[in-house]
Amino acid sequence: MPGETTSPAGGKSDANNKTLRPITIKQALDATQPYPDASYQIDNQDVNNIVFVGQVRNISTQATNITYKLDDGTGEIEAKLWLVSNDDDSMDISEDAEKDGGKDKNGVEINGYAKVYGHVKALLGSRKVVNTHCVRPLTDINELHFHFLEAAAVHLFFTRGPPPSAGGGSAAGGVGGGLDEAGGGGGVGGNLPTMSSVARRVYTLLKTEPQSNEGLHAQLIAAKLSLPMPDVARAGDELLTAGVIFSTVDEQTWAILEY
Amino acid sequence: MSLQTPRILPSHLHAFNPSTSGPRSPPAVRLLGTVTALRGDTATITCGTHGEVTLILKPDSHLQMGKLVEVVGKVVEVEGAGLGVRVLATTDWGNPQDCDYKIYEKVVDVTHKLKPIFYDSAE
Repeated sequence: MPGETTSPAGGKSDANNKTLRPITIKQALDATQPYPDASYQIDNQDVNNIVFVGQVRNISTQATNITYKLDDGTGEIEAKLWLVSNDDDSMDISEDAEKDGGKDKNGVEINGYAKVYGHVKALLGSRKVVNTHCVRPLTDINELHFHFLEAAAVHLFFTRGPPPSAGGGSAAGGVGGGLDEAGGGGGVGGNLPTMSSVARRVYTLLKTEPQSNEGLHAQLIAAKLSLPMPDVARAGDELLTAGVIFSTVDEQTWAILEY
Repeated sequence: MSLQTPRILPSHLHAFNPSTSGPRSPPAVRLLGTVTALRGDTATITCGTHGEVTLILKPDSHLQMGKLVEVVGKVVEVEGAGLGVRVLATTDWGNPQDCDYKIYEKVVDVTHKLKPIFYDSAE
């Protein structure tokens, strides 16, 4: 599957975002736009190319596109496969689809499962469709299950940070989203710079803990995260150097630097 | 979203029982199992090591013995057999040997732990 990350979809504006994100249909339906015409965001991350699986509920072949209605148990969405207009065979393809008992040229059939690569687009306001460039049948049930697990893993990566390297504890449970909102400026591009997992946890705490505009004291952070003081101090230095937090009333009290 | 069909194991059937789940009717569920008995309008599937579930078939359901099937249906009480499922649709996945049921168990586990990306609210 890695090879498919370079597939030639991609809009003009986000041509340099070549990532392919596995998602569920519910995530596509819940995707938000920070402002009109912006890229859709899932877990505060811009998404360009997406891949999802689903059971095909309907295939409707039109002159310019084939519309698939898909259902993966978490929601239902339509995917449009635009036919290349100067392709002389395009008419044959659509005729074949009808002759072949509801199968399209790739063998995708109604009530069978399919894997869809594409990107999310809004249609008529809030209704979402996926513009797809590849719909192929999914015949191995393990691939279906794997997809859900992969989507879950990627979701957790974006909402709770990378998995702790070893024995780091999974204390970040329940922290939904927001990890990667900082860093709009510079070359950071919506991502926290690479940093230790402790620094990430400190950052997440600062982000989510109710606090005055003076921020939180290192002692308090250490207590909240049940970490030794030196570790918290080191994490603080890391975050200060990266410019994502700043010290307020004294050297040991930090707040999130927001743009 | 009314179209959600949570994936479950037999031990979760009770959470989707319409007679105990309050005023809102619970969503249809998805089960995965091997067809182990066919009796005309009912059938039994065996869900890995998680026991059996009785299915109430539709006239046009055609299941085959020994095949792995994914069932979408509503939880109902079956006389003398506890909770069963009234079938809405089935998907044939062929040979049960080709499916690692352990992965499915993990999927069920993960989908119910991570509601934000899978289901609005089951039960």
